[in-house]
Order: sequence, then structure tokens, then C-alpha cells
Amino acid sequence: MISCKIDGIDVQVEKGTTILEAARQSGIRIPTLCHHEALTPYGGCRLCMVEVTRGNARQIVSSCAYAVEEGIKVKTATERIIKLRRFIVALLLAEAPEAKVLQDLAAELGAEKPARFAPRNELCIACGQCIRACSELVGVSAIDFAQRGYEKKAASPYFQRSEDCIGCGTCYAICPTKAITLRDIAEGEQFVQPDGSLVNGPARIIDNWKVNFEMKRCRECGEAFAPAFQLEYIQKKVKLAEDFFEVCVQCRP
Amino acid sequence: MESFNRSTIDGFIKKYQGGKSSLIAALQEIQGACGYLSRDAITYFSIAAGVPLSKIYCIATFYRSFSLEPRGKNIVSVCLGTACHVKDGENIMNKMGRELGLESNESTTPDRKFTLEKVRCLGCCSMAPVVRVNEDTYGNVHQSTVPKMLAPYRKAEKR
Amino acid sequence: MKVSGIKDLQKLKTRGMATLSPDKIKIMVGMATCGLSTGAGTVFNEIAAGVKKNRLNAVVTKTGCIGICHEEPLVDVLIPGSPRVTYSRMTGEKAAELLEELRQGSVMKGALGRMDEDRFLLDDTVRSYKKGRIKKELLKVPEYANLSFYKRQEKIALRNCGVIDPEDICEYIAKGGYFTLAEVLAKRPPQDVVAEVERSGLRGRGGAGFLTGLKWKICSAADGKVKYIICNADEGDPGAYMDRSLLEGDPHAVIEGMMIAGYAIGARQGYMYIRAEYPLAIERVKKALAVATAHGLLGKKILNSGFTFNISISQGAGAFVCGEETALIKSIEGEWGEPRQRPPFPAQSGLWGKPTVINNVETLANVAPIMARGADWFSSIGTKKSKGTKVFSLVGKVNRIGLVEVPMGTKLKHIIYDMGGGIPNNRAFKAVQTGGPSGGCIPKELINLPVDYEALAEAGSIMGSGGLIVMDDRTCMVDVAKYFLSFLADESCGKCTPCRVGVKRMKDVLEDITAGKGTKEDLALLESMAEDIKESALCGLGKTATNPVLSTLKYFRNEYVAHIKDKKCPAGVCKALITFLIDKNRCTGCGACVKVCPTNAVEGEKKQPHRIEINKCIKCGACFEICPAEAVVKG
Repeated sequence: MISCKIDGIDVQVEKGTTILEAARQSGIRIPTLCHHEALTPYGGCRLCMVEVTRGNARQIVSSCAYAVEEGIKVKTATERIIKLRRFIVALLLAEAPEAKVLQDLAAELGAEKPARFAPRNELCIACGQCIRACSELVGVSAIDFAQRGYEKKAASPYFQRSEDCIGCGTCYAICPTKAITLRDIAEGEQFVQPDGSLVNGPARIIDNWKVNFEMKRCRECGEAFAPAFQLEYIQKKVKLAEDFFEVCVQCRP
Repeated sequence: MESFNRSTIDGFIKKYQGGKSSLIAALQEIQGACGYLSRDAITYFSIAAGVPLSKIYCIATFYRSFSLEPRGKNIVSVCLGTACHVKDGENIMNKMGRELGLESNESTTPDRKFTLEKVRCLGCCSMAPVVRVNEDTYGNVHQSTVPKMLAPYRKAEKR
Repeated sequence: MKVSGIKDLQKLKTRGMATLSPDKIKIMVGMATCGLSTGAGTVFNEIAAGVKKNRLNAVVTKTGCIGICHEEPLVDVLIPGSPRVTYSRMTGEKAAELLEELRQGSVMKGALGRMDEDRFLLDDTVRSYKKGRIKKELLKVPEYANLSFYKRQEKIALRNCGVIDPEDICEYIAKGGYFTLAEVLAKRPPQDVVAEVERSGLRGRGGAGFLTGLKWKICSAADGKVKYIICNADEGDPGAYMDRSLLEGDPHAVIEGMMIAGYAIGARQGYMYIRAEYPLAIERVKKALAVATAHGLLGKKILNSGFTFNISISQGAGAFVCGEETALIKSIEGEWGEPRQRPPFPAQSGLWGKPTVINNVETLANVAPIMARGADWFSSIGTKKSKGTKVFSLVGKVNRIGLVEVPMGTKLKHIIYDMGGGIPNNRAFKAVQTGGPSGGCIPKELINLPVDYEALAEAGSIMGSGGLIVMDDRTCMVDVAKYFLSFLADESCGKCTPCRVGVKRMKDVLEDITAGKGTKEDLALLESMAEDIKESALCGLGKTATNPVLSTLKYFRNEYVAHIKDKKCPAGVCKALITFLIDKNRCTGCGACVKVCPTNAVEGEKKQPHRIEINKCIKCGACFEICPAEAVVKG
């Protein structure tokens, strides 16, 4: 076990625990944007910054990506830290003013959209959660970062239709700013894609990766329950029987 | 359908899978062989080497030395390092663009004979401003000497 | 031939000495990138052909960059028994003249300098030419030691550049090369080597200035049997080319340094990460590695010791951020250049998670001299906290552009005025930018500053890799700040919010200011954003990105105010704020401007004063450049 102090509180954690995890264990809240417990830490948004004192050295670090060391002293909400968190949120508000998560953070931290900067209205804040989820949780790696610097964002290759996406929707579920648009359309419905082509329901459409999937219908109840392509992928990968997904979860004995 | 030499790419795949070259090195070899990272070549590599295409696209768009578009036969690199910048490098760049008939955001002429790009820095600061055309480096470039500099390359293209 | 010990090295040394000072005329042409780009290739061919045609008893070889770049192409002539003489600004015609003089047994006039001594830094010996034996005409040629550009220099890292043929390992050995490695492997345990380098006070020459010995110590003590040493040859600072010159001119110095470092920390594998924009450096290093391997100086059981070591080259792909250690590691691993937070430090967990030392090219070039001459010798040079010498690239608005290696603590004033010969065209010195995009501008008032890590940091800049960009009154400091921000916005990896978004937004503000759209609140905004980015950015690129803005705001605030309040650019650079006009009193009506104007904006009759139609003028500056009467002015 490793001992440290967080906001004056003595904390004991297992080796390898991050400051963020240690803080949460002790009931201390540190705001995050690019972090998710199910994914490896990225440390890019910098919202979770804390001050760490290690011997004589003081440093500002992303708490999600810093493994606790013996004897460190952590301050999670000094004036300096709050000022810097406000700065991060203010910058991001100018990027994506419509994102509710940013509006909530702004209210919590007392940050304001900087009037000097024209809003960019780009919901993707390059936090990478969708990418890490697709790679680490789903194992498909249909998307990755494209470009660098200001233009960096999550993308399918060539910003065109992803051939590898299985339409599971994990990216859509995990995106903190709701930058990913996923819609399931029912039997009889139709959707006109930006390029003019028509998609007939039952189907799942994910705008960002320019994909659409025919939904599989349950042999028993007729419910369109998941993209057929996704089920094929899982069946092959997990080596299930070919007819495993002919019946939906509800109808399974 | 672009053509690329499968067996050449296969060689690169073998090196990559054997751990003898990194993904970046493999892509550098593909660009060396094809002149740029053609979509067909990297898609083939992606499937044969088992590397997600999204990862290849990530690397290709992160590093500036990779080109996903065919490049011109002649590469004109105008150095815009600090020493060249304070000696009017930007004006040379603009002049080059005008001379090659490029719109400000274009980098390759429609006939694919010339690609114009900026580079930082070639390390020839004693001759700033510097322009490199293919393997030839020119120093102390002035706007007025640009047409003369391009002349032999344009002549070679006409033949 | 496999080198298994000192005796074999001695054999190769003898061979090298014979080619360094042959018993026939030796003509050396400086063939580094700067030489080649001024026409050294043509000069070499002319000389080689001429020697053959005239059946001169001479040998023609190539050498690296001796640093006097403003005089390139350089040709050195070594007549047996005579000191080496350097000829500058050589052309094909001058080469023919030179050969004619040699054929007649005389000396061509107009030589730049003569070297009366051959220095062997590693064993502190000197071979001098007896003054009495030197030809009278040669005595008229100034000694190198008296050349203003050369006077204050002390060559340690650059000891062999411009002196040896970089592709001849025997010449490197003749200058003491690989003897230090042999000594170290035979007699000095790894901890000893670490201690010596630590005692020397050597600090990283790539920019951060971290104590090299301390870095080696941490890595050496780290757990694990697999460790790596990486040579950072990504040299991304625009205007800095000392690493390129070292790799092109003396690759073995860097290789030997890497090997000693690897031995000291317990690594068996080294990587040289060389940026793609340096094809000649890559080629010379590849050749040097191949030759060293062929001689058994790389590979298994080197010099009959238990030390096994190999070096691979990893090529950069055009990303400045890959000069940052953690991003560099990612790049070698084949990923995008993603920096990460530290700790953990690369010395504890680096390449593929193993303890890794990353050292700059110039740092490594200092290693063999330190081990050969000792820490006491090295630390006797320089200042209290900055030991040894530093190579600087003196570029920009200065008369004598080139590479200089001076003891730490040398004053900027001496470098720029005594060595650099001051500002061309009698213009006024305004500032010298140090440390590249991570650095700041040092103004006139601080010209007495010594080049020392702490002194430069105190002044709001950094040592960086050693680029010294001299600026005059025609350089706009607001434009300089904008230039660096644009560079960094272009090179930002995009991982962390403060750099990805903050630097870009700051660049936008600078663009507004230089376009005459700045507001008076902008300066306070820039300062506050700069401080916030400095504190919250993830890696060194972001953390130092705002130094150029902060330092120009500190020392040249009046220029910012002029751009914002008066909508004027005093230096005459920012296009939106200047107007090109023709001075009627100076214009001779020659019409040169009319010919070069891309938009037909110049009107006038022949031999009559011309006029620029402001609405058509795109401010390209072609007329300003070409006017023989200097009649085009910026108002």
C-alpha cells in the first residue's frame, strides 16, 4: 500500500492507483472530460489537473494519468488550479458552446465563454474516448485521430465511410459532448443521407463515420434489435454458432 | 484504380511483421516506392499486415512528410525557417505560388508537374532565403531570380 | 579489418595520419549541405577533373562544415610541410586558377586563413609548423587564430568538422577516435563513466539543459536488464543546424559518444532518430555505422570486451514535437508523436517501457572528450553552472553567418559583433532570438548577457539548441511573435487543450493585431493566456510556446501598441499596415518595377517618376526588392 495526502487527508492506495482514482475513493470530486474508468487514461483535456508536491518539487499534473507515489502531497482545488480549470473550460466553450457537459462545467467552475473568440461550433473536442473505446473495448479500431493540432479530431479513414465499423454505438454512448450522431430508424422509415442517398429502415445510421447498417430482425418477435453486420462480427470473433443471433435476447429461452 | 506493385509492398509488410521496421518506416517505404501514400497501397497494406486503416490514416495525417495525394514530378520547397523568414521568405513563397499558377491553398499544379511546399528548416541559413527544387538547393533567392530558377525544370517538363 | 584492441587502432591511426597529411598535395572541399548548396559539388568536380588533366600529384577529398558558412564554398589546400590554407567563395573558375598556381608551385592569392597547428584535442597534443619553414606568401595569409570569426572559438564538439573526411574512419581514428572507447571498455567500470560525466557538469545541449550525468545515473539505477540509448537528431528549431553539421561532418564522434553512453547505462541497443529533412546526414550516418560495424566496432564483443552494442536509424517524418523525448519515443515505436506526462521519466520507463536515455547529438559529441581529458578539464571551461562549450548557429541579419563553438559564458556582444561582424548594411541591431520557438528575444540593452543556461532563462529566453537569430530595425517583433505562434500551432500535436486550442487562439489574436484589427484589451489577454498555457500545457512544446510572445511583450511592447493604437508597423513588415510608395525624388523612371509587378500596379512614363496604384498593389515587395535607386519606400 502507498500513502499520500490529498487535500490534507491521509489516503492509502494500492500501487498503480492514479491520483484521480485515489481522490474518488476518498470522496473528493475532480472534474474530467477525456477520462473513463473503462478506458486507459489519456491525460489530454487537462481538466483534472492537480498540484503535486514531491519532496521539494511542485508540479501540475493530470490526475487521471499520474500513479500515486509514496509521500506525495496533492491539492485538488487550489485557487491556481481552479483558475486553470476555468481556462480549459473557457477555451472549450469557444469550441463547442452547445455542448451541455461544457455548459454544466462552466456553471460549476464559474467559467465564461470568451467573447474575444468566435465560436467554432465543433463538438468534437479531441478527447479520444470514442477512439479508445472502439480500440480497447470493442476491438475494431474503426476510428482514430486524424490530423494534428487544432484540426485534430476523431475520424474514419479519409473522413469517408468506415469499412470496419460494426455499428455497435459504443462511441455514441461514450462521447461526452454528444458529438456523434446515431439514429435507429424503424421499418417503413426512410432517411436521406447528406450525400443524397436513401436509407430504408430498419437501419442504424452513424453520421460521423458515414455508415448505415441494416438491422437484424428476431426470428421470433420480429424486433429489429441490432445491426446485422455487428452480429456477424461478434459471431465470428467469439466463434458462436452461425444461427446464434437469429433470436433476440428477449426471446432467448 | 491506381496501380502499385504488390510484391514491393509485400516486401515492406514482411519487414514490418518481422519487427524490422516500425509502421512509420513501412509507410515511408511505401511512399518511397509509390511517390505518395496511395489509398490502394495503404488499404492493401492494412489488410495484409493486419493494421487498422484508421491507424494508418492517423499516422499519415499526423506527419507532414507523408502525402495522401499524388505529388508533382518536381518538388519545390521554400524554406520558411526563422532565418529565411526574417529575410523575406514569405514573399518568396508567394512569388513561387504566383509563378507556378497556384491558388493560395493549392500545392500541386493541375498538370502534376510541380508541387510547392514550405519547409522549416533546411539548415542552410547562411544563404537565406533558401529554396530547394528536388535535390538542388538555391540560396540568396530573390523574387526576381525565381523565374530563372524554375526555367530548367520547366524546360525539362516540356520535352 | 576487425579491430580487437589498441594495436589495431594504432594501425588504422597510421593509415589515417597518412591521408590526413599525405606526401602529396591535398585539396579538401567542404561538402556538407551548406557547402553543396553554394556549389561545392561543381567545385569538387572541377578540381578533380583539373587534377587529372594536369596530372598534378594531388589528392582531392571532401570534408565537413568548418563553420565559416558565409564564405562557402570552401577549399582547403595542404601542401606537404606547409600549413593548411583555406580559400573561400570558390567557383569553377577560381578552382582552375588554384590548380594552375599549384602546378606552378606557387600559392594562390586571396586565401581566407591558414592553420599553423593541427590540434589533437583528445590527447591534448599539437603539431605545429615551424614558422621559418612557411612560404613567404603564406605568411601574408592570416592565421585562423586571428580571424575575428574564429578567435574566441574553442572546438570540442566540432573538433573534427571541416578537418577530416567524414567518410573515412581512419582519419577519425587518427584524431584519437575510438581510443577513448577502448580505454573506457578496458579500464573504466560503467559507474565510473557515469560519475565522470556527472562531475564534468555536462548539460543537455538540445534545449532543456538537464544534467547529462544525472540522467545517466537515474537510468543506470533503474530496474531491468533491457535499456536503450537514443540520440535525438530531430533538430527542429528553425535556424539551428549544428546537429546536422555534426552528423554530416563527424558522424563517428556521435557514434562513439553513444557507445560510451550505452556502456555507462547498460544498454545494448541505440537508436539515432534523424529528421527526414536531413538526407545527407542520414546517408553519412548510415555509411559510418556500416564501416564501424565492418571493423567490429559495433556488434558483439567490441574491442575484445563483453560489450555488445548496435545502433539503428529511425527516421523522422516531419513533426517538430518529436524532438520532445516522450513524443520521440512514440515515433520510434511507430505511433503518432504523442507526448505524455512525466513522471514516469524516460530514464525509468521509456522506449517500449524500458529505461531509456535520450541525448542530443551535440551532447554525445562531448562525451569522448570528457572521458579522454577528464571532468576537471571540461568543467574548467564555461561558467559556474554551465560547463564546457556550446555550438551556436549565428544567422539572420549578421555579416558573418555560420556555426561557432564558444565557451559557455561568452557574451552575446562578442558573438554578434566581434565574431559575427555586426549588422549588414550598417543597420541597427534590434534583438537576437535564442532558443528557437521555445525561446525569447534578447534586446539591445542586454547585449552583454553571457551565454549561460541560467542567464538566458532569467532574461526570459532559453539556451535551446543554440540558434542565434539576429534581427535588425527592419524586423517587426510582433511579426516574429506571430511567426513563432504560427509555427507552434502548425506543430502542436493536438493532445492537450491549452496547446491545441490556446496556442491557436493566441495566434488568431496576433493575426488580428498584425492586420490592424487588434484591440487594447488584446495585450492583457495575450499575457494572461500565455501564463495559463505555460502552467497547464502537457509537454515542453506547449509549456514554452508562449515564450516568444511574453518576451516580445516585455521588451518591445511599444511595437505592439503601435500596431494596435496607431495601426502602424514601425519596421515596415506587416502588409496590412504598410503602403508601398515611390519616392518621386529618387525614382529615375527606369521601369524595373513595372516589369516585376504581378498586378500591373505601377504606372509611369519612361524616365519619369513612377506611381503605385494602391488599389492594385498586393504588397508583394517585388518592386522594393528590385529598385536600383531604393526609391520604393514603405509608409
